[in-house]
Amino acid sequence: MPGRPLTRRTAVGTALVTPVLLAGCDIDPPARDGAAPATAPPPEDSALVASVVAALVLSRSVIEAATLSAPDLTPRLEPLATAHAAHLDVLLGAVPDAATTPSAPPVVTAPAALAAVRRAEQRLLREVRRGCVDAASGDLARVLASIVASTAQHAAALADGARA
Amino acid sequence: MTVLDALQATLADEHAAVYTYGVLGARTSQAATPATYDALTTAYRRHRARRDQLRLMVVDAGGTPVAAEVAYALPGPVRRPAQVVQAALDLEATSAEVLLALVARSSGDVREWALTEAVWSATWQVTQGAEPVTWPGAPELG
Repeated sequence: MPGRPLTRRTAVGTALVTPVLLAGCDIDPPARDGAAPATAPPPEDSALVASVVAALVLSRSVIEAATLSAPDLTPRLEPLATAHAAHLDVLLGAVPDAATTPSAPPVVTAPAALAAVRRAEQRLLREVRRGCVDAASGDLARVLASIVASTAQHAAALADGARA
Repeated sequence: MTVLDALQATLADEHAAVYTYGVLGARTSQAATPATYDALTTAYRRHRARRDQLRLMVVDAGGTPVAAEVAYALPGPVRRPAQVVQAALDLEATSAEVLLALVARSSGDVREWALTEAVWSATWQVTQGAEPVTWPGAPELG
């Protein structure tokens, strides 16, 4: 099923804080017929997005702490950090006041740092998955589902690297 | 597009996936490339289960499950092992897109099921050598 391109990567955030823009179907998923305008997301989705953003920010801080403690991990963790930065970029527009400076626990060794990253990613997966299932907006659910899939891919890659 | 329409579209995609995996499996040597053969077999079974589950979901939604076509066009040449694997990777990438469309149009149990299956397709690609991507199933977001 071919996807209809989204016009702006930040449309999710914009749409959530400016519901009227949704009438333009700016973030419709692929193959929507376009006849019926998307409904404005209810306010509860904003709290949901804030929770996901908080989880993403925490994961990012854990990754940063891990690479600071064990610079050798940087090549392995950089793709994950880059992906989460992009995920945050899309979602932060929805909750511009979300906390972005959580404290990451200190780690001292590479194995401990990697284990901390894996734990943080599992927490993130649970949070984003819950957000996807609970989202009132189907468009938001699709974005969150993609974040879940991306995080799961990176987790699989990290696990594969550990076995290599 | 209604939830039923999205379910039917996903079912149609799964019909094609089951057919394609049948062809890919037939062109894979269990003796020469056992790991690939096992991975394709696992994927074939997963898509067959998906197809069966979707049929039930369509009926539950009040529809008549869309039937499979007699045959489907392959995505490209699939003579060499690398081509077979690439065809499977492309198939799973498409599956993730279709399932995310179902996520967008559904809710509750159907959405959760579609999410689980999209994550499986995305993760399977990495286990077969693909690099993780930032927006599986929604590449236009990148």
